[in-house]
Parts: sequence; structure tokens; C-alpha cells
Amino acid sequence: MLQIVFFVLLGMGLFYGLMTGRGDRVFSALMEGAKDGIGLVMDMMGVMAIFCGLMKLLSLSGVTEKLNRIMRKPLRFLMGKVPEEALSYVTMNLSANMLGLGNAATPMGIEAARRLADGDRASNALCMFLVINASSVQLMPSTVVALRMAHGAANPEAVIWPGMIATGISTLFGILCCKWMEKKAWF
Amino acid sequence: MVLSVFALFCLGYAFVKKVPVYEGFVDGAREGVRTAAGILPSLMVMLAAIRVWEESGLNEALCAFLLPVTEKIGLPAEVVPLMLMRPLSGSGALAMVENIMEKCGPDSRESLLAGVMMGSSETIFYTTAVYLSAAKVKHARHTIFCALMACLAGYIGAILCCP
Repeated sequence: MLQIVFFVLLGMGLFYGLMTGRGDRVFSALMEGAKDGIGLVMDMMGVMAIFCGLMKLLSLSGVTEKLNRIMRKPLRFLMGKVPEEALSYVTMNLSANMLGLGNAATPMGIEAARRLADGDRASNALCMFLVINASSVQLMPSTVVALRMAHGAANPEAVIWPGMIATGISTLFGILCCKWMEKKAWF
Repeated sequence: MVLSVFALFCLGYAFVKKVPVYEGFVDGAREGVRTAAGILPSLMVMLAAIRVWEESGLNEALCAFLLPVTEKIGLPAEVVPLMLMRPLSGSGALAMVENIMEKCGPDSRESLLAGVMMGSSETIFYTTAVYLSAAKVKHARHTIFCALMACLAGYIGAILCCP
């Protein structure tokens, strides 16, 4: 899928550029893009390091356990009968995601998925977990804030509140949709 | 302001909880640096491809084509390619947000909306594939559909709360 997107962007861009007599300009855009990409990552690296450092402090101070405890009951309600161990991996994955510690979240998510799987068909609980996970419950969108800072935005943090609302809407809708679909026979 | 208060809270709370503040911070920072370095190749390549797409005039043509429809629902046409890219690739989407900020300025509504959309959804296809293949599950059933619906709801939420 991503292959096609990449091919369309680059291939069609180059082709259309050549056709409209902008061959040189599109090639220099290619070079400029790569160069800007490096500069951008360098600008963002410091900000992301600081955010991840702060989030790590929160996580070490026991915020992760608090989040786990808060999420436990609603998740048990949403996912039905699941092994205790699976539920703790789910909560750990979601709280790591909330804090934006993606590297810590993935292994937990894999453990959770393994324990929730039911043969080669996804169980209702696994679908629910994946949908909640994919609707991204992030408290601090650090990459976006970093990007806005790199561009010198007046209010880099302006995305935080609307982001939380949008995330909340998306997660809620995902859960409802999942609850509704899991009873349907056609999936 | 908000960010300084947040930073002070993290630091103070960790201190009260007797967390090794310096070591913890460095550990987290290491992870942040690793994440940023990890996305470098794909972000760089995607940004290059998007710049070509932009420079060729195709993006402009696409936006002009979409504008009559998107205008009615209060959606800037520039954001539409990002909405399509977001579920497919994190670095691709980030490169698109970068492109929008470059073009419209970081304080424009387009950039705010792009940032909110970026932060409120996930790389659905990639993460789902990772977890499903780890669990050796072949039939994802309604997962992808519901995740895409959730993503769409998030986009609508983003449009509603970025007037």
C-alpha cells in the first residue's frame, strides 16, 4: 500500500514535472526535500528528547500504574472475559501510548495480542484492543509540538487541547463501532 | 506557559516520588533521540517525494479539484492528502504536516488542523499488521473497518474543534 503511495507521489510528480517542462525544478525539489528532512529531524531531536525525558519521569513516578488502575475496570467491561495477564499487558500498552513512549508500548502490545488471540481469527477482545490502540489515546503529541517549535510557531502547544478532544471522539466512536460490529455475522 | 508548568510538574512529582530524576530523564531522552534518529531515513525520503509532488504542480491541481467539496465542510483542501496518508505511514504523514507548515505558516489554521489530525490518529495499517502477525492471527474481522471509522471520527472532531 505504502509502495503505491510513494510511487504515485514521486513517480507521478517527476513525470508531470517533466511533461510541464519543470524537469530540473522537480529534481532539485527531490534533493532539497532530502536535505530539509535531515535538518528537520535535527531540529526535532532535541525537543523530542526533552519530552520523552519528562514522560519517562512521569512514568517512573508511578503515573503508569495509576493509568493502569484507572483503565482496568472500563477495559474489563469492554473486552469481556479475558485472562488477567492479558488485561495487564493491554493496560501497560495503552498507558505507554498515552505518555507517548511508543518504543515501550510495542512489546507490551505484542504480548497482549498473543494472549488475546483465539486461533487464526481475531477474538472480540483482540479487535477491541486493536481498535482502541489504533485510535491513539495520546496525552501529549510530542512530535507535532516539536515540529511546530522547529517552525517557530507562536503557540506550539495549541494542538494539545483540540488534539485531546479529537482523540477522545475517535476512541469513543471506535469503541462504539467495534461493539456494534462484533455481533454481526458477516465479519 | 502550559509547557513550562507541565515540565515543572513532571520534575516536582518525580522528586516527591523519590525517582532518580537525572538518570530517568536521560533514559527517556535517549529514547527520544533514538525515535527521532529512527524516523530519519523514511521521513527524509518521504519529504523528498512530497516536495517533488508539490513542485510538479500536481498537488495544486488536486487541491483545486477538491476545493469546491472541502470548502463546504470547512476543510482546507491542503489537509486532504494528509488525511489519506495518516493511516498508512507515520513518517509520510509527518512529512505532509511539515509541507503544510512550510506552505501555510506554522500558525495558520491549516497547520493547526494538520497537527491535530496527526496527533489524534495512528498508523492503523502498520500497527494492526504488527500486532496481528505477532499473534499469528489471519482474519482481522472488523478491526480495520472500525479503526478507519474511529480515524474518520477523529478527523471530524479535529475540524469541529479548530474553527
